[in-house]
Amino acid sequence: MNYELTTLFGLGSGYLLLLFGIAFITDRGWIPERIVHHPIVYVLSLGVFASVWAYYTSVGNALRDGYGYLAHSIGISLAFLLSPLLLRPILELTRTYQLSSLADLMSFRYRSPWVGTIVTLVTLVGVTPLIALQIRAVADTADILSPAAPQGSLAFVFCIIITLFAILFGTSGRGGRTRHAGLVMAIAFESLVKLLAFLAVGAFAIFGGFGGIDGMSQWLQEQPQLLTSLKETNYFSSFHVMALLFFTASVAMPHMFYVTFNENNGQRALAYASWGLPLYFLLISLPILPILWAGLQSGSNIQADYFPLIIGEEYQAPVFTLIAYLGGLSAASGLIIVITLALSNMCLNHLILPIYQPTAQNDIYLWLLWKRRVLITALIWAGFLFHYLLEDRISIQIIGTVAFTACLQFLPGIIAILYWPQANKKGFLAGLSAGVLIWFVFLMLPIFLETNPLSLVSINWREIAALSLIANCMLFAAVSLRSTTTDEERNAADICALDTIQRRKRSGLVAKSPDEFIKSLSKPLGNKTATREVMQALRDLDLVIEERQPYALKLLRGRLEANLSGLLGPSIARELMDGYLPYSIVSGHGSSDLAMTESRIEAYRSNLSGMAADLDNLRRYHRQILLDLPLGVCSLSFDNEIVMWNHTLEEFTGISSADVVGSQVTDLAEPWVSLLLNFIEEDANHSYKHNFELNGHKKSVNLHKALIEKTGEQDASPEGVIILLEDITETEILEAELSHSERLASIGRLAAGVAHEIGNPITGIACLAQTIRDEYKDDELHKLAKQIIEQTDRTSKILQSLVNFAHAGTGKTQYEKEVVSIIDCFAEAEILMSLDQKSKILQYQIDCDPAAKILGDSQRLLQVLVNLINNARDASQANSKISLQAEIEDDQVRIVITDEGVGIPEAIRDRIFDPFFTTKEPGEGTGLGLSLVFSIVEDLDGDIDIISPVNKIKGTGTQVILRFPCYHGESEAAVEDPEQITNT
Amino acid sequence: MYIPRSILILLVIIYLLFLLSVDWINQPDGAWYRPFIIGFLVVMVGSWAHREQDSDEL
Repeated sequence: MNYELTTLFGLGSGYLLLLFGIAFITDRGWIPERIVHHPIVYVLSLGVFASVWAYYTSVGNALRDGYGYLAHSIGISLAFLLSPLLLRPILELTRTYQLSSLADLMSFRYRSPWVGTIVTLVTLVGVTPLIALQIRAVADTADILSPAAPQGSLAFVFCIIITLFAILFGTSGRGGRTRHAGLVMAIAFESLVKLLAFLAVGAFAIFGGFGGIDGMSQWLQEQPQLLTSLKETNYFSSFHVMALLFFTASVAMPHMFYVTFNENNGQRALAYASWGLPLYFLLISLPILPILWAGLQSGSNIQADYFPLIIGEEYQAPVFTLIAYLGGLSAASGLIIVITLALSNMCLNHLILPIYQPTAQNDIYLWLLWKRRVLITALIWAGFLFHYLLEDRISIQIIGTVAFTACLQFLPGIIAILYWPQANKKGFLAGLSAGVLIWFVFLMLPIFLETNPLSLVSINWREIAALSLIANCMLFAAVSLRSTTTDEERNAADICALDTIQRRKRSGLVAKSPDEFIKSLSKPLGNKTATREVMQALRDLDLVIEERQPYALKLLRGRLEANLSGLLGPSIARELMDGYLPYSIVSGHGSSDLAMTESRIEAYRSNLSGMAADLDNLRRYHRQILLDLPLGVCSLSFDNEIVMWNHTLEEFTGISSADVVGSQVTDLAEPWVSLLLNFIEEDANHSYKHNFELNGHKKSVNLHKALIEKTGEQDASPEGVIILLEDITETEILEAELSHSERLASIGRLAAGVAHEIGNPITGIACLAQTIRDEYKDDELHKLAKQIIEQTDRTSKILQSLVNFAHAGTGKTQYEKEVVSIIDCFAEAEILMSLDQKSKILQYQIDCDPAAKILGDSQRLLQVLVNLINNARDASQANSKISLQAEIEDDQVRIVITDEGVGIPEAIRDRIFDPFFTTKEPGEGTGLGLSLVFSIVEDLDGDIDIISPVNKIKGTGTQVILRFPCYHGESEAAVEDPEQITNT
Repeated sequence: MYIPRSILILLVIIYLLFLLSVDWINQPDGAWYRPFIIGFLVVMVGSWAHREQDSDEL
């Protein structure tokens, strides 16, 4: 095989330029959004995991371990098939808290910048061999295809182009938070190219090498030892460790973490990848055996790892050699670009920023961009150096194994993030140190030291990997259990743990508005950056700059920390937040932020099932009881933050629950703030009749409060207070009316007494006046006496009606029930009315059913009719009509008195039955007429309705409707029985 | 701890498949591509278990 180096250069450079082009047009937006953001692109970009290891090393592994070579595909496939257990929760964490690397995640969970730094250092040391492996593969392929060319020249140029690409397309945007659409598209394209190339080479191996599937089967039958070694190899001994290595690598390898979590479009994309990526790896594993067998059949003396490259040449189809070369280049370049990009972020956040931070005068974004570019360059060339130092002494399979085993050391820490809240940073660091030490001494060092007695030949790497993992786990568990965990770490554990819907720390912030946030953050970040970050966080949360609610401000702080964490790493972001946006009240672990917990449960609700769903239903039911309680309920936390504001309170105060929940009581408007604060400070738990004015109306409330004790704690301070607010405004009005009625009743009783006492002297005066009138006829004195008699008559009438009214109200009146004919009563009333000479001339229209009879007192019914007709007459114009009707309707006698008078004004309609209420001139009426009517009608078991105005258009006329039980004549016997007819 | 039902079913299926498939793959007269048939079945089950559902993303 002797290809011109220029051909290989040209092909490689052309391919990498194509990648540039794809990334460029994607970044320019020339590829439709729906393609760029399609889950398939995400799945293909995850194919970056299929590096040179899957492409070349797997063929050699298949020869050595038989089916054991599948451990690579099975490990990564299991991680994605079981994504709800590991990847999905981590995706949630990384998206919520903007964690862009494993070091970010670890330092976020174990609450220590040191954790981030150590994880970064271990990753750096562990992953550099993997970068070297890719460069080595490129160099090896160049050596195989063009043995005459100077060694390493292709690898050198390859590194230069890859560096340029990573810098141009990987560092655009703003650090960890931006998706690099161009880069993702290019990586997805690379994955597609290597898959298609590998499948093409595999197909050629079958059809070109063996002449078809039958030919291959026939050849295999002639080589029974191959099939036997495939199946009989004790691959399960290494298989488990291998599968575990690649399972861990799906999260722990920086390039996988970066693509899986940073370039993810959401859970939907991950759901696709959960089966899409296993399918990808299944397809890429499929051609390996045919390629291996075709290579073996050809009798080539090239290392089995590079069989994909040589079979084209061996079977006289050089194009497949070039296809395989491109596929290999694609696998190597994809991994180097993504891994250096991810590592540069980790190094920046955890190695550089903790030591040196830009000043507020610098443009932070530009500063970070350049640092990242320098780091990418340094990392790629560190890989090149590693490859250069190793020369060709160590096989690519060993280099890869060493790199993957380093990442295995993170497995206990990763699992503990989600499933072991008791784990702490001391345990993690102890375990990691032990594991890494074993790895370094027994695996890393022997690579460099040829004469090391603990070389890979003498000690099985699988045993070392297992030993390091066991030591790591045991120390991790032992130290975590025996050492103390800080509150901060326990909070982080709660946030990360899967099985807790956590109770978060409740704290008030010193800064009380987004403006103050900007002011505080301007000191470390500069005004421009601080404003940009705060505005971005406000936009993310859909909040406004005027926001003042403590709950919203806490969310804003969390968002800011997450955003800054994406930019500067979680350790620096946390330092900035704690230093410049501190909490004013810091409570211990376990004190609850109910609003936060509640919103989390609400969001998680559709995922709850079984007992959890039942508990949630119960919670909602109890909450609904409080919300719908017909008393105002306001629940406050221990620092006077409003936690609940129920519907009745919303209605009464006119303040929506959404506006106040999460606010301090002091943020409420008057009069509520003073009302509630004064009551909270009072010692008494009940306070009655607080009067205040609300929107011009007088309001009156009773207040009750109770302290909310912490559940399960004996001597703890209360968790909050619940206040009940009872609106007693209506009751107050009723009480006032009742007391007014009482007063009126006593006046009535007094008046009756006075009337009785006055009656006697009046009778005396009348008698004397009659005597004078009779003695002095045709005299001036006679006239005066007559006038005195008239006046005393009038006085007597007033007194009589007063006495009647007073008696009517007592219910002690005794009367005999008799059959009363309504028509007779009408006739008598008409006569009585006509006797009044002073009255206006009116037309009476009587329409009465002769059968209309009731059981009652005719004199009292007459009194009712005369009173009502009197009122109708007073309201009517002269010559107008008053109609009296009586009919039997539904076993009732219905008496209707209708006039055409002025009607009753609406303002006084409710008061016309009140005693002493009159619209007549003083002396004209006592205001007792209708009250008396009402009392008598009630005594007669009837009811009264007044319709006014009758003529809705003119607004005139009043209609009084009386209803009494109809008398049918069958109860004659009852009439004769005094026991039954006497109403006492 | 809350584990979605689909995962529990998937775990059981994986376990059963693993036990059954190891014997099947290792039969001396079995075809070389048997592991891949198992692999395709696993992917199909996986795509069923992870099919799109109306779930609220947290």
